[in-house]
Order: sequence, then C-alpha cells, then structure tokens
Amino acid sequence: MNPVALSLRDVHKSFGDVDIINGVDLDLIAGERHALIGPNGAGKSTLFHLISGQLSLTRGTIYLGDQRISGLTPERVNRLGLARSFQITNVFPKLSVFENLRLAVMRQHNLQYVFWRGIEGQHAVREETEALLEQLHLMARAGTLATELSYSEQRALEIGVVLASHPQVILLDEPMAGMSREESAYAVDLIRKVTHGKTLLIVEHDMDVVFELSDRISVLVYGRIVATGTPAEIRANAEVKEAYLGEEVA
Amino acid sequence: MDYFIVSLLNGLIYGLLLFMVSAGLTLVFGMMGILNFAHASFYMLGAYAAYALQPVIGFWWAVVVATVLVGGVGVVTERYFLRPVHKYGHAHELLLTFGLSFIIAELVKLFFGNYPVNYRVPQALSFSAFHVGPSAYPFYRLLIGLVAIAMFVLIYLLLTRTRVGIIVRAAIRRPAMAGALGHNVPVVFMAVFGVGAALAGLAGAIAGAFYTTSPNMAIELAVMMFVVVVIGGLGSLEGALLASLIIGLSTSFSVGVDVSLAQVLAYVGMGDWARGIGGLLTLKLSSLSGTIPYALMLLVLLIRPYGLMGAKE
Amino acid sequence: MNRRFLLVGLLVVIALVAAPLVMSQSLINAGIQMLIASLFACAFSLLCGQAGMLSFGHSAFFGAGAFATVHAMDAMGGAGLLPTPFMPLVGAVTGLLVGLVAGWFATKRTGVYFAMITLAIGELLYALAPHLSGWFGGEAGLSTMRMPAFGLSFADNVQVYYLTLAWVLLCLGLLYLFMRTPLGRVALGLRENTHRMRFFGYNVHVASTLVFAISTMFSGVAGALQAINIESANYVIFNLDLSAQVLLNSYIGGVTYFLGPAVGAALMSFFGYVVSDLTTSWLLYQGLLFVLVMLFMPRGIAGLVHAVAQALRRCGFARLWRAFALYLGATALLVAGTTFLVELLQRLFSQDYRALSQIGGNAWPDIPLFGASWAPLSVLTWLLPVLLLTAGIWLLARAARHWRRALALAAPDDDSPATTGGGRLVSGASS
Repeated sequence: MNPVALSLRDVHKSFGDVDIINGVDLDLIAGERHALIGPNGAGKSTLFHLISGQLSLTRGTIYLGDQRISGLTPERVNRLGLARSFQITNVFPKLSVFENLRLAVMRQHNLQYVFWRGIEGQHAVREETEALLEQLHLMARAGTLATELSYSEQRALEIGVVLASHPQVILLDEPMAGMSREESAYAVDLIRKVTHGKTLLIVEHDMDVVFELSDRISVLVYGRIVATGTPAEIRANAEVKEAYLGEEVA
Repeated sequence: MDYFIVSLLNGLIYGLLLFMVSAGLTLVFGMMGILNFAHASFYMLGAYAAYALQPVIGFWWAVVVATVLVGGVGVVTERYFLRPVHKYGHAHELLLTFGLSFIIAELVKLFFGNYPVNYRVPQALSFSAFHVGPSAYPFYRLLIGLVAIAMFVLIYLLLTRTRVGIIVRAAIRRPAMAGALGHNVPVVFMAVFGVGAALAGLAGAIAGAFYTTSPNMAIELAVMMFVVVVIGGLGSLEGALLASLIIGLSTSFSVGVDVSLAQVLAYVGMGDWARGIGGLLTLKLSSLSGTIPYALMLLVLLIRPYGLMGAKE
Repeated sequence: MNRRFLLVGLLVVIALVAAPLVMSQSLINAGIQMLIASLFACAFSLLCGQAGMLSFGHSAFFGAGAFATVHAMDAMGGAGLLPTPFMPLVGAVTGLLVGLVAGWFATKRTGVYFAMITLAIGELLYALAPHLSGWFGGEAGLSTMRMPAFGLSFADNVQVYYLTLAWVLLCLGLLYLFMRTPLGRVALGLRENTHRMRFFGYNVHVASTLVFAISTMFSGVAGALQAINIESANYVIFNLDLSAQVLLNSYIGGVTYFLGPAVGAALMSFFGYVVSDLTTSWLLYQGLLFVLVMLFMPRGIAGLVHAVAQALRRCGFARLWRAFALYLGATALLVAGTTFLVELLQRLFSQDYRALSQIGGNAWPDIPLFGASWAPLSVLTWLLPVLLLTAGIWLLARAARHWRRALALAAPDDDSPATTGGGRLVSGASS
C-alpha cells in the first residue's frame, strides 16, 4: 500500500457567513496523478489556497505525509515539499525567463540572504536553471522578459517555477486554461514528464486532458467531494453527471 | 476633574477633526487603491481659501465657497493628474500625489508667505460655551466637533439611504461590475474624489480659524492621518473613527501630564538609576505627547499588523 | 555596449578627480554636496527602485549616520574614534543597526502601508530629537572638528573632496556589486512579485529587512560624509525636507537605472547651487519638474537618455535632428514662460512688494524682472508668459509628431533592449 502524500481531513472554510468548503476529505496516494474537477465556483482554487497556506482553515486539518501543514505559512509549506502554480500566471513580469527560474532555484540552494558572493559564480544554480529551461523548451527565450512571452510560454514558465522548488507534491491550478489543442497536447506531455515520480493534484476543465492524464479523479461540488475514483468510475457516476449537467437527460 | 473634562472634550474634538479628514482618504483608498498624499493639502487649501475669502464675503460664505473650490481642485486632480498615471501602478500614483502636495505647499508659500497667517475665528463666534471650573470652554471648538459629526451622519445617510449612495458603494467594491451594469464609473471616481477633497477643504476652512493656518499644516496633518489609517486599517471607516479618537484622546490627555518615566520608576526605587541614564527616561510625558501617536502605531504594528479593524490582505 | 559605458564611466571619474584643480572654493563645496547627494540617492534607490519599497523617511538614516559620526569625531577627547578617512565606517555601522530595527517594523507591511510607516518613523525621530540633547544637541546641534591623519591635515576642502569622492566611488561600486549577489536578485523578486516569493519558500520579512538595512547602511555613509564635510550635525536633518529631496532626486533621475538617481541628484544639486541665489522658488520648480517627470517621463532623465540613444541607433541623426531642434526650442519656451510667470507672481505677492505699494503713492508699482520693469496691471505683462507657454506647447506637439514619424519610418529593431546585451550600467537594475 503506497503511503499517503497529502491528506485533507474534514476541511472547512467560511468567509463570514458564506461557507465555501463544507467538509472535504481527500487522500492523495504518493506518486499518483489526481485530478480535481467540478463546476465553476465549487471551491477548487480555495482548496488550493488552503493547502498551500495562503488561507487559514476554519476547521479541519491538512497533512503532508506525516507533517501537519494546516496553519503554516506558505514559506513553510513550500520548504516542506509542496509547490503550487496559479490559475492566472503569477511570475515576475519585468524579469527575464532565466531570472524568474533562477529566483526559485536560488532559494533551493539556500542562497537567499547571501550578499557577499556574486550569483554568477554559483555554477550549480546556473546549471540547474539551464536544465529547467531545457525541460520547458524555453532555452531560446531565456533572455526574454516574462511579460513579453506568448501565453502558452508563460504557462510553461508558471509550471517551471513550481518545479524549481523540487516539490514532492505539486498542485497545478488550470495549467491548460486558454490553450489551443496543440498547446494543450504539448503541455500534457510536459506535465506527464516532469511529474514522473511525484504526486500531482491538478485542477482542469478540459475533460480529455483530465481523463488522459489522471490516475484518479475527485469531483468537488459546492465545497464537498461527491465522488472519488478512477476515470472510468467517474465517467459512469450519475451524481457527477447531474452536478455538471443538471437534471439527467433520459 | 476639570482637567479631565477639558482634556476629554479637546481629545474628542481633535479626534473628530482627524476623522473628518481621514474619512475621505480612507474612502478614496478603498475605492481606487491609491493613497492620496495630497489629501492633507486639500485641508490646507480649504483653510487658505477661507482665509482669503473671509474679508470679501464673510466667514460662513467663505467656508462654503472654499469647500466648493477645493472640491473642484479635487476633481481636476483626479481627472488630469491621477487618471493618466493609473497605468503605471499604485506606487507611481502615490508619488504623483506626493509631488502635487509638494507643489501645493510651495504655491501656498508663494502666494501667502512662508509663515502662519492670521486666519481667526470671527468675533461673533468666539464666545465661550460653558465653564469648566475656572476656565471657559470656547464654543468654536464645539462647533468643529459638531460639524464633524454632522458631516459623518450626512455621508453615512448618503451612502446607505440614497440611490446615488448605492451606486457609489458598488463602484467602490466592484468597479468593473458596476461599469458593466452601465454606470459611468470614471465619473463616480471623479465625484467621490471631489467630495473627499471638499470634505477635507471644509475641515480646513473650519479648523484653520481655530488652529494655526500655515504652509506646514498639510504635512503635519498628513503624517497624523497616515498613523490613523495604519492603526485603524485602511478602507475601514469605523477603524478610522476609532483610531482618530484614540489618538485625539491620548494626545490631549498626555499634554498635561508632567511626569517622566524616571519619576514612575522612583516608586520602585529605581529613580536614581533612571535619572543616571537620562535621555528618554527623564523626558516628561507632556514633552513627548506629540510622539505618542507614533508609539501607538509601532505598538499596533507589533501586535496587530493589519490595524485594529483592518482585514487581512 | 558594455565597453562603451566603461569608457564613459572612466572619463567621468577622471573628470571628477581632476575637477578641483580648476574649480573655485565654492564650486568644490558644491561638488562635495553633489557627491553626497548622489550616494544618498543611489542608496535610497536600492530600496525603492530595486526592491520596490517606497520609503518616505530615509533622512532618519542619513541623520543617524551624521550624528554618530559627529560623536565619533568628538570621542577620545576630540581625537576621534577612528582616523578621519575611516570615519564613514561609523556612519555605515549606525545606518545598518538603525536600519535593521526600523526595517524590521516597517517591512511587516508592504506597499503604501510600508511607505506610511517609514514616514511616521522619520517624523517620530524628528519629534524626539530636539528633546534628546545628549545625543542630538538640541536646537543648536552638535559640532566637531576634523582631525589630521596619515600626514593630511583635512583642513581645506580639497582634501575633503577627495575623501568624499573616494568613499562615494567605493560605495557606488559596492552597490553595483550588490545588485549581482543573490540577495540583490531577491530584491528584484520582492519588487516584481512579493506574493509569489513566499511560495518559493522565501521568508519575505527577513529578506526585506536585510535589503532595507543595506540601503540604510549606505545612507548612513552619506550622512557621515556630510558630517565630516560641514563638521556638524543638527536635528533639522531629520526633517521631511531631506527625505523628500532624495525621493525627488531619485525619481527625476530614474530609479530603474543604476546610475539614474545619481544623475538626478547631481543635476538637482547643481541647479540648486546655481539657481538658489537667483530665486526663492527653487523648490517649486523642482516640484513642477518632478510632477512633469511622473506624468510624461516615468523612467526619468536616465530613461530619456536611454530612449534617445535607442532612437539614434534605429533612425540615425539625420532623421532626428529636426525633432531634437523642436524639442529643445519647446523646452526653452516652456522654461522661459514658467520661470517668468512664477518669478512675477512671487514678487507680486511678496512682503517687500506689499510694503512698497503701501509706502509709494502707487498701489501697483512696477516689478523689476530680467532687466526690465513690468506693470502688474498691464495686459502685456501677463500676455508674455501666456504666449511663451502656448508657443512652447504647440512646438512640443510638433516635435512629438516629427519624432513619431522618424521612428515609424526607420527600420524596426528586432529585439527589445533587455534582450540585446544592453549596457548593464544603464539597464542593470531592471534585468
């Protein structure tokens, strides 16, 4: 039995009177690719905010392996091995692609407070950054400012800075949003390669991608998980269909 | 007891005055995300405009015209200075308002001189309202407080009870949505900015007659306003009111307290040690009363960084 | 590109070193002030332009450095804690320590809150200082004397000039190198996206505090140099005026360029020196320039130079000279019109004028200005600046049109400046 990489227990989140997350229980098995789907407004991004430490839980706990991460700051959560991407590209606009990635890599090498040595002399950092550029196929755009990249290149960079943290658990928030068919196929390939051996939790709306990429799928509706299972099980689940399509069509 | 009552009244009124000026600032920040450094300059312009107009049209008309004039300046500022730099970001807008406050201060010095001017309460209003012990409490001071309260009530009613008010609140919360619904959001912004400026101008016109009217009044008030919003939490009207009153009362009460920390320490036998160290420990609270708001601000930052009533960003 | 800048830089340094040989005493003094202002502006810009943290109270650290140095110079019965050439170290240490404490508080918040906190800290110091006469010398301030060291008397200001120059060049060099350290890159990250930095595992509060402290350290050095120069320190140094001054200087110069603030500070210092005897409205002109820069030249004078250099590269001088001429003409007209109007108003509303109008028989005596007399009630007097300004604006519009046309006709560049190996000294801070 594979260990549980990420575990959510009875997670609740309310903003004043409004309950966004109404009791979520979820276990991510180490090494699996797990998709989180559900209608708009179900609370998927909120769940990501809760897991990554951006928002505090109203009730419940979240564990990363054996380590409790609910209540920790985003820095601590990241250092414990969890990294997330953002639905709206959230990188460093006026810095080059190289610089964007290097910032993430530098932190991994614990260089954040060093002011007595130059960054150029840190070969390990440079090599790792260049390796990332290769993986993301952004080598040719290394010197381009992030704000001047094409949309799909920005989304690739968004994934890239997540990887730079060497996370064991990766959260991707709609990485394919706004991409064309070819770009999506390309991105799926990239994600499959770079998440090999890691645990992935991905929010996506493109069902083809979801069914192709994931080992298991959970469906979030109005802040509750209504179903968890393999793609085949979810496809056949009546409650899921109703949640997406309303009344079942006979 | 007399000291207590007088300090209480003075503190409340100063706090209300602070609130009258910070309210506009907080509203504009909540609405547009910019901190208008020039807001205190509007206060100063109100005082100077009323001062200049008083010999011509009398005190009350001067106050009214000054308020409208400063409102106009606010509208022009938003339309021709702030809107063009909106695209460069909040820091840029803040700097621009800083530059404007600088220019306004220099223009005031140019036209009126680099010294306080003789803007005084008119004879008809400079009587005493009542006596507290042997001393007379000036009616005009109460008037300042009354104007502040009246203004607050008016704004509150306007925002919550009128159709215009609902539109304004919508534009503050969700400008894009309000625009999509067909409301002219840029005009709303301009109007709110103008009204905020007019309020600051009114505060200046009324208060300038009582307190000193000088080219430095803007920066002195600006710093105090910023302390208010840090303590109260930007965007929160209630926070601004609470913080203003706290600052008003603490400043007012400490002015008469001729006690130093060394004297307090003397009670536990450490008086000589404290006096030996000197410096801050031997300063009387009355001399330090001007620095108490800053100390409060630093304290709030330590304990509750988002202000007393601010929300987590 | 890099080599060209190094060459220019070398020439500037040589000029600075050779300057005292040809300058008068008062010009040397002005030069020292320019150097100190340039260092202060670059130190300020580290926090503001590189790390994106807008500070309104930086004079606190300049002043702290100054006062600490005065005390150090007086220490040991007047002999001084350190030999005179090493005194600025006192300023550095003081700036660093005070900055660590102040920065720890201030960086608990970001954006406008941060700015307001720095303003309040600065004002707090300004309010406290006159009461702590042991540290700050009360209303009169403290004074001291430079002690001779290493065979130099430091009695005349030429030696002070070279001492200042050496330290300023050293600090500018260190600031430039800092940009290329990991913490320097972290500063850029803090500017561009503080929020995301957290998700990379950065402790943003600690990192911000460190960057803050390094900025204040160099500000302390600038203050120390000032204390050495004028052999005194007064609490008015903590006034908002100095904080405002360094802010205006830096942004007029352009904070996205490493030497932009230095250029801005040098220019403003120089103009202040030249012009402040001629007019009392110098600060108004500075404020107007600042607002104009904010509105129309957001990247400052350095940005303007960069844009012009780029345009020249693309179009060549032959296509652009007409636009240049029009721009220069427009600037001249606008400056003339504004200056005339401001000076006229200043004299009209001054106390001297009011006294004059009461003494003489004439209620509106003529105003002497620029060698002529102007009647305040005459339409011509006011028509002149109006005409100058209108003509200036019209010319400006034409200049802009010519410029746009020249750029449109030229062959397009294939890369933006950041991707060509653009001289680091120019665009180093932003990439």
